[in-house]
Amino acid sequence: MSVPVGHYQYDRIDRDFLQARIAEFEGQVKRRLDGTLSEDEFKPLRLMNGLYLQLHAYMLRVAIPYGILDSRQLRKLGQIARRYDRDYGHFTTRQNIQFNWIRLEDTPDILRELAEVDMHAIQTSGNCIRNVTADEYAGAAADELVDPRVHAEILRQWSTLHPEFTFLPRKFKIAISGSPNDRVAARFHDIGILARPGEDGAPVFRIFVGGGLGRTPVIGEELFDSVREEHLLATLEAILRVYNAHGRRDNIYKARIKILVQAIGVEAYREAVEAELGQMDLEQYRLTPEAVEAIRARFAVPLLEAPDDADAVLTQQRRDDPLFDRWVRSNTHVHRDPGHIIATISLKPAGGIPGDATSAQIERLADLADAYSFGEIRITHLQNVVLGHVRKDRLRDLWLGLSEVGLAEANIGLIGDIVACPGLDYCALANARSIPIAQKLGARFADTALQAEIGALRINISGCINACGHHHAGHIGLLGVDKRGEEFFQLTVGGRAENGAAIGTILGAALPEDETVDAIARVVDCYLGRRESGETFLDTLTRLGHEPFREAAYEAV
Amino acid sequence: MKRPVRLEAGQKLVLTANRLLDGRTVWWSAEGTWVPHIGHALLLDAEEAQVQLAHATEQAQHDGVVGVYDTAVQDSVPPEPVTVREKIRAHGPTVHPEFAVETAQ
Repeated sequence: MSVPVGHYQYDRIDRDFLQARIAEFEGQVKRRLDGTLSEDEFKPLRLMNGLYLQLHAYMLRVAIPYGILDSRQLRKLGQIARRYDRDYGHFTTRQNIQFNWIRLEDTPDILRELAEVDMHAIQTSGNCIRNVTADEYAGAAADELVDPRVHAEILRQWSTLHPEFTFLPRKFKIAISGSPNDRVAARFHDIGILARPGEDGAPVFRIFVGGGLGRTPVIGEELFDSVREEHLLATLEAILRVYNAHGRRDNIYKARIKILVQAIGVEAYREAVEAELGQMDLEQYRLTPEAVEAIRARFAVPLLEAPDDADAVLTQQRRDDPLFDRWVRSNTHVHRDPGHIIATISLKPAGGIPGDATSAQIERLADLADAYSFGEIRITHLQNVVLGHVRKDRLRDLWLGLSEVGLAEANIGLIGDIVACPGLDYCALANARSIPIAQKLGARFADTALQAEIGALRINISGCINACGHHHAGHIGLLGVDKRGEEFFQLTVGGRAENGAAIGTILGAALPEDETVDAIARVVDCYLGRRESGETFLDTLTRLGHEPFREAAYEAV
Repeated sequence: MKRPVRLEAGQKLVLTANRLLDGRTVWWSAEGTWVPHIGHALLLDAEEAQVQLAHATEQAQHDGVVGVYDTAVQDSVPPEPVTVREKIRAHGPTVHPEFAVETAQ
């Protein structure tokens, strides 16, 4: 088998490990079914293998390391959805995929099928280091300084089954980007890493620590500005050790690293990390250029060849077809190669379920990836899909292919590109349903011309305070709350996850579910009525402050 | 043992759980079995529910269920859960009508 473009090629050791792990879990499932293991004993074991028990069924969360798949892996996910689920999968805000209708007794078989394509569900739950996320345009974007995937893979290998970090005080999330434009919400992670070239050309890493959303949203603080590549693992190890030693284990709501950093201050945390580094055998953790190159060699590099007139062809096609032009405007990004372009495929059809894709769509995406992007697919933390290396003169053919399976929505970064957690329709933790509100908003703003007129405006919806829909980081955020068994939604405005990260401000009392969509429509109308030329929603909000938007939201209440 | 739930007028309690094998929502019936349709759920007063809950929890592994608890319903035919959460558990996700669970079968 050839080396896949975009992600690490497994070897025999990786595959043998997966088989051993599956056999272990199969034994645990058998012991659970025969009663040898109680539910209390089994629960942490199944969670370590990505298996949750939700409202209607078991849910299996499958890891997609740094969000990158090859077409055979994507095809396998489509087959699993068809065979073991109800013909669809849900892409998550952690660049993973969830299957909502899984049977416990089928799980070992599903894991075996995943292992056939070098996939698993390990560490997609539990108090461990979760799936490391990365820039969805990694290795493709013109604005990128360092391709973060090789280091993301190094972090994956370092964090997988790390003996010290399997039972942390709480879950731990790491994101890495190599672009000056933060597309990974680095400052809302337990550790956010921004790579750039150092003076000698070798990468250095700016490290933020203690960010997060959830019950206590916090913007991460810079711990180090320029960690050298050779010290990256030692530094992360030291950060985790300090957290593991001092993070709270007496209160689940105060157990994340952000609480520890807030409690002692980032300076004290830095001192503790430096003290830890001072007593570590740094040579043991040294990331040598040879080690990095050995990992890099397991990634195939796409051969980016395009005809000289590729750009001219695309320009002409855009002139000839306004609908295609609109899609290109919203759903593409500049590639580092002038003959190529990055295409983002929206999983947010008007009135649809954010992040859901049917088996047929998943398999068609795999075919399109083979035809147009070296068989490589990226899942974004905004619940969309990216084909990273599309020849410009073939982009319209891709768009036509997407149209055939309902995947040509022109709304990336616009109001229809809503991020939503599964909410109370599935999730055992949720207080309110996220998806129906997303569907109503999607239908309300279905007109793509209207969406383009509104411009950049991101809506994020979470069904509970755990904030899987990242509502704190939404330009408009919705948090579902339960009031005596009924659904209400709290509105926030002004959140952002990109550069200049900010936590949204609560506008006022939570609104009943059936008043929420109208309230948001009034907030949008307020913006459209008062914006000045060239302003985005966030620009107008910054200029006017929250009060006009608060008045608009509550004017009819 | 947990204290009896305070029920409002016109409300009863039912016992619910998830099936161990596939996680499906189930309800405790008058026949002393776990059934997938809330229409067959046994309606209980608060004190009766306490006794039945203790018994069902003890028997959970034998009966192949997980996470037994009680929840309030309107005393109607068929019974209707009081909270949105339990309505969704009883009838299926609201966003996929094709996956709806019938009240009784």
